[in-house]
Amino acid sequence: MGLDARVMPAAPSGRLRLAPEEHRRLSRNRRLRREVLGWAFLAPMFLCFVIFLVLPVLGTVWWSLRSGGLGGDTKFVGLKNFIDLPDIVGASAAVTNTLVFALISVPLILVGALAIALLLARIERGGSIYRFLIYFPVLVPGVVAALIWLFMTNVDFGLFNGVVRGLGGKPVVWLGADHALTVLAILDVWRNVGYWALFFVAAIIGLPKELYQAAELDGASAFARLRYLTLPLMRRIIFFAVVVATIWGLQVFDTALVLTSGGPGTATTTVIYRVWLYMFGATNKIGVASAISLVLIVTILLLTLVQMRLLRGRRGGD
Amino acid sequence: MTAEQHARIRVRQRRRREFGRHLVLGLIAFILVAPFYYVLLASLKDSTEIFSYPPKLLPIPPYFGNYRDLLWNTGFLRWMFNTLFVATSVTVLKVFLDSMAGYALAKIEFTGRRLVFLLMVILLMVPIGALIVPLWSMVSGLGLINTYWALILPPLANPLGAILMRQFILGLPRDLENAARLDGLSEFAIYWRIVLPLIKPGLVVLAVIIFTDQFMSFTWPLIATTSDELQVLTVGIAALRAHGGANYGVWSASAVMSLVPIGVFFFVLQRQFLARSLAGALKQ
Repeated sequence: MGLDARVMPAAPSGRLRLAPEEHRRLSRNRRLRREVLGWAFLAPMFLCFVIFLVLPVLGTVWWSLRSGGLGGDTKFVGLKNFIDLPDIVGASAAVTNTLVFALISVPLILVGALAIALLLARIERGGSIYRFLIYFPVLVPGVVAALIWLFMTNVDFGLFNGVVRGLGGKPVVWLGADHALTVLAILDVWRNVGYWALFFVAAIIGLPKELYQAAELDGASAFARLRYLTLPLMRRIIFFAVVVATIWGLQVFDTALVLTSGGPGTATTTVIYRVWLYMFGATNKIGVASAISLVLIVTILLLTLVQMRLLRGRRGGD
Repeated sequence: MTAEQHARIRVRQRRRREFGRHLVLGLIAFILVAPFYYVLLASLKDSTEIFSYPPKLLPIPPYFGNYRDLLWNTGFLRWMFNTLFVATSVTVLKVFLDSMAGYALAKIEFTGRRLVFLLMVILLMVPIGALIVPLWSMVSGLGLINTYWALILPPLANPLGAILMRQFILGLPRDLENAARLDGLSEFAIYWRIVLPLIKPGLVVLAVIIFTDQFMSFTWPLIATTSDELQVLTVGIAALRAHGGANYGVWSASAVMSLVPIGVFFFVLQRQFLARSLAGALKQ
């Protein structure tokens, strides 16, 4: 239905025409209304975000420049904490342990997840039951997972040594200094492989089918299709997964606390574990604790920026 | 070779490959799930049976003493209540706040919204565990240590929900809200009566993400509470390991019992849970 002069009631002409300044006033009002509305809708969440995330990040910087303990007086010491950091055995061991942990767990998680996803995306029947089973460990709290693994890695009656004995080997001290960090990393693989497997399945299903049909007609082997089609097409998604899985890996704490209590010695004391120990187990280490926290935060921010650049590239490119 | 024979060979080949895939996947699924059976088994054995070798593969007759100990001699029921209470509160509050923030970021053109969004994306991955020093001193400065507020408020800061909701709401057609606006609906009414019903699937996915994250969270609850009354499930179980002596039976019973709620939710909301895995993809 068009706007027709005949059906529209005749408006008094004087009231419809706005004076220029009135027009400006009205549009200013509308803009003001938008500003107020926008911030009003955003405010409740944004306040929480600022108070409990932005301020603590800035607070970490502030604390990292001071010395002292949580309860007592602290004083400004400049960059001393950062300069000392490499020489503080506990702190540098924590950084090393965390990096080694991520270096073991992340590749295993992603290669495993990719392999599972490639199989899962191609089966014709029963996919949902596998998805359910493979995803289940993802939903287990770290503390509970560690408890289960504490059990399985027990030297005398654990499942692992049961299998080792069954194969005719000698019982292994799984949580001893040699293997504890590796076991912790494998536990993480168990917990996370399902998450990334389903992530990759979704990506594989979204790949263009025509390319695969063409490749099949050309007689490309399964391996060639993987090597020259699937992996290149999923390059960005895999990179995304590498970055996010690494960021998650750097946060490991609860499993280390329950499975090994950070030991033996400091073999599995990770960064957040060390921060926690400095906070509540020492009286004057709050600055150092904040300094290693800040190292962790900055690392994570850098990884986030890399990933943002990457995603921006994706939007502009293919 | 006739075309028919050829086709038959191909079908057979396909079936063989499908069978191979099922074999490998079945093995992987078995390895991933076996620990659960193992711990369930242990929880149904008494202390001598747990340590016996070779282990019994079926718990007959089952022994329920571990569960009795867990339920009556530890704070397990209290921990479970705390976890469910905190996780539910955070989920309800956060779905509400995040969808409002997402609406503002997606549909209202106010100054600074790009900057706010950028800040949220940049800080998205910073974990609460890296912030425990300032967070603890702030929360204890406010006198909130050992209160439910200490457990509920800090998780509200996570920007993932607002970012996801923004993405969902951006996908809605503009015509709808314009029509509503012409009908004279207020901005809040548009959000409440038009936008929220339309993004319901997104809200459910978000709720599942928040609830499971809360259910599993450990680092902050460990630090924010010292009284037994306020311990959540994960903290209580960790304390069981730290203070209770090596009681494998009770440990395994606690592991099984804590998996019950998440297992039930998972079974009911399987699709939304699996979408959790795709939330990452959505961000792109």
